[in-house]
Amino acid sequence: MGRIILEVKDFSFKYRQTKQKALKNISFQVEEGNFFCVIGANGSGKSTLCSALAGLIPHYFTGKMSGRVIVDGISAGESTIAELSQKIGFVFQNPFNQLSYTAGTVAEELAYGLGNRGVSRRMMMEKVEFVSKLMRIDHILDKNPLELSGGQVQRVAFGSAFIMEPEILVLDECTTQLDPAGSEEIFDIVKELNKKGVTVIMADHDMERVARCADKILVLEKGRAAALDEPKKIFGDPEIMQHGVGIPDYVEITRALKEKQYTDRDIEIAEGPAIEMVREVLDRCKLN
Amino acid sequence: MATISNTFIPKNTVIERLNPMTKIFAIFSLGLGTLISPGPRLGLAVIAGLFGAAWLAGILKDFAKIMFGFGIPVTAMLLFIQGCYHPGNVTFIADLGFAKVGLEGVRYALKIISTLLVFLGTFYIMNKTTYPGKLVAALTESGMPPKAGYLVLASLNVVPQMQRRMSVIREAQEARGVETGGGITARIKAYIPLLGPVIMSSLTDAQERGMTLETRGFGIAGVKPTAYVEVCKTRTDRAVNIFLTAFFIAVVSAAVLTKLDFI
Amino acid sequence: MQIELKNLHYSYPSGGEVLKGINLVIGGTEPVAIIGQNGAGKTTAVKHFNGILRPTSGEVLINGENIETRSTAQWSKKVGYVFQNPDDQLFLESVRKEFEFGPRQIKMPEKEIKRRNEWVAELVGMSEKLDMHPFDLTPSEKKFCTIGAVLMMDPDVLIFDEPTCGQDVQGNHRLLSIIKALKERGKLCITISHDMKFVVSSFRRIIVMCGGEVILDGRAEEVFAQTEILKKSFVAPPPVTKVAQGAGLKKTVFTTEAFMEALEDERKV
Repeated sequence: MGRIILEVKDFSFKYRQTKQKALKNISFQVEEGNFFCVIGANGSGKSTLCSALAGLIPHYFTGKMSGRVIVDGISAGESTIAELSQKIGFVFQNPFNQLSYTAGTVAEELAYGLGNRGVSRRMMMEKVEFVSKLMRIDHILDKNPLELSGGQVQRVAFGSAFIMEPEILVLDECTTQLDPAGSEEIFDIVKELNKKGVTVIMADHDMERVARCADKILVLEKGRAAALDEPKKIFGDPEIMQHGVGIPDYVEITRALKEKQYTDRDIEIAEGPAIEMVREVLDRCKLN
Repeated sequence: MATISNTFIPKNTVIERLNPMTKIFAIFSLGLGTLISPGPRLGLAVIAGLFGAAWLAGILKDFAKIMFGFGIPVTAMLLFIQGCYHPGNVTFIADLGFAKVGLEGVRYALKIISTLLVFLGTFYIMNKTTYPGKLVAALTESGMPPKAGYLVLASLNVVPQMQRRMSVIREAQEARGVETGGGITARIKAYIPLLGPVIMSSLTDAQERGMTLETRGFGIAGVKPTAYVEVCKTRTDRAVNIFLTAFFIAVVSAAVLTKLDFI
Repeated sequence: MQIELKNLHYSYPSGGEVLKGINLVIGGTEPVAIIGQNGAGKTTAVKHFNGILRPTSGEVLINGENIETRSTAQWSKKVGYVFQNPDDQLFLESVRKEFEFGPRQIKMPEKEIKRRNEWVAELVGMSEKLDMHPFDLTPSEKKFCTIGAVLMMDPDVLIFDEPTCGQDVQGNHRLLSIIKALKERGKLCITISHDMKFVVSSFRRIIVMCGGEVILDGRAEEVFAQTEILKKSFVAPPPVTKVAQGAGLKKTVFTTEAFMEALEDERKV
């Protein structure tokens, strides 16, 4: 077992303007280098949880809070968002919210966070060049961020988080403005960073993507933790859909094959293995 | 509807390449110099010089528009008021029938106008030729607090942001049966209900912005922020600064000397 | 209701041609989905359907009538448009007022507004929230509020720009039931979406755009069988379809049931 980089201890939160608690007694630990996914219906508390990890709760959203969020040994409630930003890179749901709106060009926007850390200009230029190529926005570096399309802004938003080289990335349903190919491309980058040791916390609705990426999944339902396990266990549970979440097509197919007793293998949660299983089934009957 | 703010267009001229601090220094040195100098002559000379600078900056046409657009009506008004009714009028140079025009009043009016125009002109040139990011970077480097820097940049961005939102919202309202074309009254009528949400959303935007900035490290304790925009001092800057300093000292000494002579 | 595009070209004032000669006829009540990569020109194309954008060259005909003959506000009686971002559309202080706004603009009788209000609020799931401030709704509810506001105007054609964006399972179900209800009432729904699962679940006709052109147009089964062309336009079939294709099933399937049937067929061979 690796080092615990993030810990949520019996955390509850109620926004000032609502009656119901948004999160109720949530506890979990995330190991360093893990890819941790949070799923659940709208209103189940995914965004609230992400906000708490980055310190936006309690520093920006006020309300009644109990329990603790500990980021790499620092208590989020007692630190500042700015201090936490040295460890956590946060990507907002709405990419337009990620922009500082102080930059006249995409390059400045990317470099903004580095400036806040007092990074030298030479270093900034190097990093801006690297990240803009990675995100494929190097052709729009001189453009005003206000003139970009939603998809382009989303790339800038991701780039502005990646450039800070955070230890932990918190992604709150953040590919809504991208087409499937574009979001796959970005998640390939996220996976790559994850392989290099970056811990990723991701809230998302795309179950295929969650299944493909996650080491562990937390299912939220009306603010409560309904389940917390490995993807295969989560999606293997026939009851899981009752918590208001979907399941990947791969799971449905491979489960149907199992039910027909065409295979004795366990369910699959990714495209490659699912195809392999179907091929096996077809080959076996050809042999017979 | 001429907006003075946020109208920077890169032209890569000598004036544009100057350090923003040099230009700010120019506003004060030339403006205050004109204010201190006893007569209107120096101011008029500086204005002539500013036209030269505007020409160098490639903005002569716009500059002339602003200077004459503001200068002519204000001159006419002040000349009339001060020329006819300045309390110190003793030397009369014309008679309009209902009032006499006094030389002292005319001189006084010209002085005020020239000072105003010097301030306006230098500020206009500075604004037109300075990239806002560079201005704020220069100001922060010279010790302005980062929060003030943010306020300057954010407020410069408010107008284009609102314009962008307005156009999107207008489309959405047309699609809901609101006529936004046609006569001016129809247009104004259509816009009024939209102003509320535009302002409202700008305010919530501003709130969320604070959150964004902090998640991006704004306000980390004990760090002096750096900027991506390069701000450098060139030899030209040094020369201009020396010239401006010399100019100011000369004007002050001249003013003091004349005062001493008279008293 | 019929929308016809004849050699439609569009360039933004700043230059750059976004639509490069589109010929298309959309009619009847069969829901149509438009898919394609970001920047393919989907939104630009549908913004011509109610005249928000006007062709640089070519023609747009609504029931045979040229789009240029009326203003967008006038077309709004016939063609309803739900924008991608609800915040661009909502500006009143309650959901009810949002619902009543459009119909009043087009001078719908008060009685009918009242009658429609009930049906629409129920359909989009806003019955309990009519007196709430749209500002306090969740993003998903805001979306349904904008959909309701447009449905209230009772247009013959409805355009949805990325309605699935940010929706969960339940939200997607509601969208499907809205589209079904509209079809039953003889309305034509045209939807832009990136969510392929959603697209195949209720759209028989699929139009694929790429680089400002229509590169595929046909029944869902035909379109998603064109794997090579789709790859070039960066569109991927839904996961279940991809598994079937990857495993070499001959039929193009969109559901697990269809998948299993196709599998049984192959096993029998």
